[in-house]
Amino acid sequence: MSHYEEVKVHGYDEFSKAVSERKGKDIFAYFSGDKDAQGLSWCPDCVKGNIIILLRGEMFHLPEGSVFFYCQVGESWKDPNNEFKKTLKLSGVPTLIRYGTPQKLVEEECFKADLVRMMFTED
Amino acid sequence: MAALCRVRHRWKRTNCIKLLTRNLTGTFDYDLVVIGGGSGGLACSKEAAQLGQKVAVLDYVEPSVKGTKWGIGGTCVNVGCIPKKLMHQAALLGTALKDAQKYGWQIPGPISHNWSTMAEAVQNHVRSLNWGHRVQLQDKEVKYLNIKGSLVDEHTVKGLTRTGKEIPGAVEHGITSDDIFWLKESPGKTLVVGASYVALECAGFLTGIGLDTTVMVRSIPLRGFDQQMAGLVTDYMEAYGTKFSWRSVPKSVDKLASGALQVTWTDKQTGKDQRDTFDSVLWAVGRAPETKTLSLEKVGVKLNEESGKILVAADESTSVPNIYAFGDIGEGRPELTPTAIKAGKLLARRLAGQTNELMNYDNVATTVFTPLEYGCVGLSEEEAESRHGKDSIEVYHAFYKPLEFTVAERDASQCYIKVVCKRGGDQRILGLHFTGPNAGEVTQGFAMGFQCGATLTHLMETVGIHPTCAEELTKVNVSKRSGLDATVTGC
Repeated sequence: MSHYEEVKVHGYDEFSKAVSERKGKDIFAYFSGDKDAQGLSWCPDCVKGNIIILLRGEMFHLPEGSVFFYCQVGESWKDPNNEFKKTLKLSGVPTLIRYGTPQKLVEEECFKADLVRMMFTED
Repeated sequence: MAALCRVRHRWKRTNCIKLLTRNLTGTFDYDLVVIGGGSGGLACSKEAAQLGQKVAVLDYVEPSVKGTKWGIGGTCVNVGCIPKKLMHQAALLGTALKDAQKYGWQIPGPISHNWSTMAEAVQNHVRSLNWGHRVQLQDKEVKYLNIKGSLVDEHTVKGLTRTGKEIPGAVEHGITSDDIFWLKESPGKTLVVGASYVALECAGFLTGIGLDTTVMVRSIPLRGFDQQMAGLVTDYMEAYGTKFSWRSVPKSVDKLASGALQVTWTDKQTGKDQRDTFDSVLWAVGRAPETKTLSLEKVGVKLNEESGKILVAADESTSVPNIYAFGDIGEGRPELTPTAIKAGKLLARRLAGQTNELMNYDNVATTVFTPLEYGCVGLSEEEAESRHGKDSIEVYHAFYKPLEFTVAERDASQCYIKVVCKRGGDQRILGLHFTGPNAGEVTQGFAMGFQCGATLTHLMETVGIHPTCAEELTKVNVSKRSGLDATVTGC
């Protein structure tokens, strides 16, 4: 039984609904390109084996009672005006954010365990 | 502020006080320790790390009396330049909205301002800067410690967990610029005590967003700046709704049952006491160096007794060989972000043996972001007179009107340019002063010319860009000595 909740969502509407159901919680979200049945993606970095292992390794540091979203952005990403870009201001994938704060790690930054740990442990 | 030294340390936990003690092998644990994670400290530590040094930066924010705290980045990022310029912009936009109607925009209903919306947006931006610095430090492998540093000896730094707070005067009922940018709710009717640029800039944007604001001035506004220009700045503010209480000294601040603050002050001209109530009192009477807990005297670092700032040489060194000080903390240094950053970077390079270049503190341009902005580089008229003698200088000036003010029917009486020159020959420019919109943008380019030793001839040989306010600088030709009308006429 872990000290945080893990939620898998697909697309903006699902993400946004799941977030609104968890008001007041410390929410972290990893945005990734979609994976197919074989585990491949148009964003190979997003699904690279070591990034998932890295994230799993750092989740131990997540604050008690927090929520970790694994969100696949879906087909809508191809539209330059999609909700992720417009509302969440995502500039690319993969991106790791702490919802409701300016804390975020973009692309290569997500591959640095010390930066991920810093975000999870920062006040 | 940043005082730095090569240190050796080892972490040791004793009764919750972390002690950085000597390493018995005699090696240093860090090549460089920077105390203060502000403009200077961050620039220096990142530069040094990039040059291969092992660096640690200590940054700690002692909460204000009101309890305001903030993240890494120092005064500029958290309670200075950044939030100031953003709130100044908020106020300018209010004016622009009023002007817009004259330009044909249909704006239904009266325009009002919501403090909380502005404050949240500004505070979020500041927090994103705090985060950006944290990521950069981590990335460049600079060790960041959120503790208050104190010197044990010239090579050892320890962390303090408890520090004494000093609460001068009536501060328990007031706020400072440390608090104003972090308020969640509007400060309401505000009294700003002080006449420095901090006081005037804050009073300026508070007025601009629609708050009843009064500035209480003991003697002169913008001490250290050209006084004619300072007068134009305050004249504009008065014309635009900021109230000024001149030659006044606050006597007491009492909290009324309603929660409002009743301020009693003495009018030095009449000798009589006056009284008024305000929702907030903002003390802007100077920023003191946070050096009490550093144990500087113990280690032998000499200070200026009066200011409490650290005495420094041209290479930022102090009286202790391996300890340097730069940024606001250096005695006699400009309290500006760009000079702190540049000095920090050059110091890091000198310590790494990459250069011998010293920081050039001359010819530094600056801008005061009051409602009518004031940009300048070089000497004030008074300073030029005192250094060269009134007969050896020629002052050229012009009152101009920004084109954008015409349709907006705005008063441009304080939009003014002054170029102070050495008399004779090509008339080297000693000082350049500009009040008007976007003064910072206008002044920056001319500052480069100034750095290159520009003369009035150079200025007159420069063709202006039309239509702009900046071009008026290239057209200046009426001297104060001639007594002729300095108002710019037509195109």
